[in-house]
Amino acid sequence: MYCTNTVSFKSVNKTITMSIPPYTEDQNDALQEVVNIAMGQAGDSLARILGNFVALSVPRIRLVTVEDVIKTVTDMVDNNAKISAVRQAFSNSLRGEAIVVFAQAGADDLADLMGYDTDLDRSAEQELLLEVGNLLVGAVITGISETLKTDLNFSAPSLMAERTPLDQVLVPEQLSWSHALLMEVNFTVESRDFNCHLLMFMAEEAIDTLRSILDEFIDRIQE
Amino acid sequence: MSDSNDTTNLLNIIVDRAHVGIFVVNQQREIVLWNQFMEIHSERKADTVVGQNLFEAFPELPRKWLDRKIENIFILKNFSFTSWEQRPYLFKFAHNRPVTGGVDCMRQDCTLMPIKDDNSEVQYVCFTLFDATDTSIYQSKLEKTTEKLRELSNRDGLTRLFNRRYVEEALEKEFNRARRYNNKLSVILTDIDFFKKVNDMYGHLAGDEVLRIMSQRLASGLRGTDVLGRYGGEEFLVVLPETDMQGAHVLAERLRKIVQAEPVAVEGESLTINISLGISELRDNTAAYAQLIAEADLALYQSKKNGRNNTTLFQPDF
Repeated sequence: MYCTNTVSFKSVNKTITMSIPPYTEDQNDALQEVVNIAMGQAGDSLARILGNFVALSVPRIRLVTVEDVIKTVTDMVDNNAKISAVRQAFSNSLRGEAIVVFAQAGADDLADLMGYDTDLDRSAEQELLLEVGNLLVGAVITGISETLKTDLNFSAPSLMAERTPLDQVLVPEQLSWSHALLMEVNFTVESRDFNCHLLMFMAEEAIDTLRSILDEFIDRIQE
Repeated sequence: MSDSNDTTNLLNIIVDRAHVGIFVVNQQREIVLWNQFMEIHSERKADTVVGQNLFEAFPELPRKWLDRKIENIFILKNFSFTSWEQRPYLFKFAHNRPVTGGVDCMRQDCTLMPIKDDNSEVQYVCFTLFDATDTSIYQSKLEKTTEKLRELSNRDGLTRLFNRRYVEEALEKEFNRARRYNNKLSVILTDIDFFKKVNDMYGHLAGDEVLRIMSQRLASGLRGTDVLGRYGGEEFLVVLPETDMQGAHVLAERLRKIVQAEPVAVEGESLTINISLGISELRDNTAAYAQLIAEADLALYQSKKNGRNNTTLFQPDF
C-alpha cells in the first residue's frame, strides 16, 4: 500500500539472472520473483510500522565470494561511516543468516520515525534496531517460506555491531565459507534520512537445497 | 482417534510442565493460557488470571511498549523477541539464585509467536519466556573481569601508576585534541636525583620502596585531568591538558616541594629525595606528540646540568 519499487523488476531481470551460475534460467527467474515478493512484503511491513512511504531498491541476487561480501557491504555505505547491524539466523529447510545494516544517520532518525523520544538511552536504541531488524527479516523469511511452501524458522535477533567502523564488522578471516548466495535490498524512507540494507546469505549446501525447492515451486505453478 | 487424544494430552502436559514460561493472550490482551512455570514464578494460579486482561493482572508490565509490540504481531503476523540485554525483565519474578545471584530479579528472554487461524489471520499471541538469569550473571562477571584486565594492562605493577604505553597514548590523544580545538597542552618529565645511589647503597628493595612513595607523592600533587605515568626506571611523565608552560611551571614546583617535604624512611635511615623536572608545551610548529617528550627531556637534562633539584622550561634555542 505505502510501498513501491523504484524500478520495475522486469527490465532488470535478465542481467540479474545471468549472474547466478549454478541455477537454470527458470530457477533464477523463479527465485528473483519469490525474493521480489518477500522483500516487497518486508518493505510493506516497515511502511505500516513507520507510517511512512518506504522505497526499496530492486533486490539483487548473486553468488559471492568472501571478498565480494566485504566489497558489497563497503559499496553500500560510505566507507568511513560507522554502522550498526543486526543479525538473525534462519533454519529448517534452508539455512543461512540475514543481516540488516543501518548507517548511523539512519539509526538516529529511526527513533523519531517510530515515535520514540529522540534522545534514547543505549538500551532503548539497541531495542529499536533489533525491533526493526526483526521486522524486516521476519517478513522476508515468512514471505519466502509461504511462497515456496517450505518451512523456515528464524532465531531471535542479536546486535552484531553498534556504531562500529565498517571494516571491523565483517572480517574475512572469520567467515568460514568460500562462496554464498547473497540477496540484498535497500530500504529508504524518502522523506527522511532513514536508510537500511538487508542482506541474506545462504552458504554452500543451502544453495543446492534451494535448487530443488525452486524446482518444486516451478512444477506447482506450471500445473 | 485415541492416538490424537493421547497426543493432545501429552502436549497439554508438556506445555504446562515445561521449564519455560508459556502463556497466550488474545486480541483483547486477555490471558487464555498460563502454564505452571508462570504460575510458580508469578505466584498466581492459572484460574485466577485466565480471562483477565494481561496489563490489569500485571500492572508492572511496561504497558505502552508491550501493547504496541503485541499489536504489531496481529498486524504483521511476524515473530517478535525481547532480550534481557536491553530490557532485563518483563515480569518482576524472583530468580532461583537468591544467595549467589547479585541481580534483583529474574532476567528474561521472550519470544512472541503469532498463532494463526485457517485464514492466516492472527488470533493469539503466544509468549515463551526463558530464564536468562544465569547467562546475565556470567556475562556481568565476564565484563567485570575484562574491565579489570584492561585496567591491569594500563598500570605499572610496582607503582600502580599508569604505564608508559598508556601515558603515551593519553598524550597522543590530548595532542590531537589540542590541535583540533586549539587548546594548550604541556608535559612534565621528571626524574629522581641520584636514584642509582639509593639502589647501590640500600639495595633494590629499598629503591622500589622509594619509587612507590615518590609515585604516591607525585599523584597527590596533581589535578583531576592530569595524567601521570611511570615512563622509565625512575622517570615519570605528566600530561597536562589545557595548561600552558607557566601553569605547568607552577605545578612542577609544587611537585618538587611535595616530594622533598618529608624524608623517606629506608633501611632505618631517613633520606631526603629530590627530583629534577623538565617542561615543554605545544607550539604551532610541534610536529608530533613525541616531540613534546623529547623537548621535556632536553629541559630535564638542563635541570640536571644546573645542579639538580630544580625545574627547567624548554626553550627552542636549547
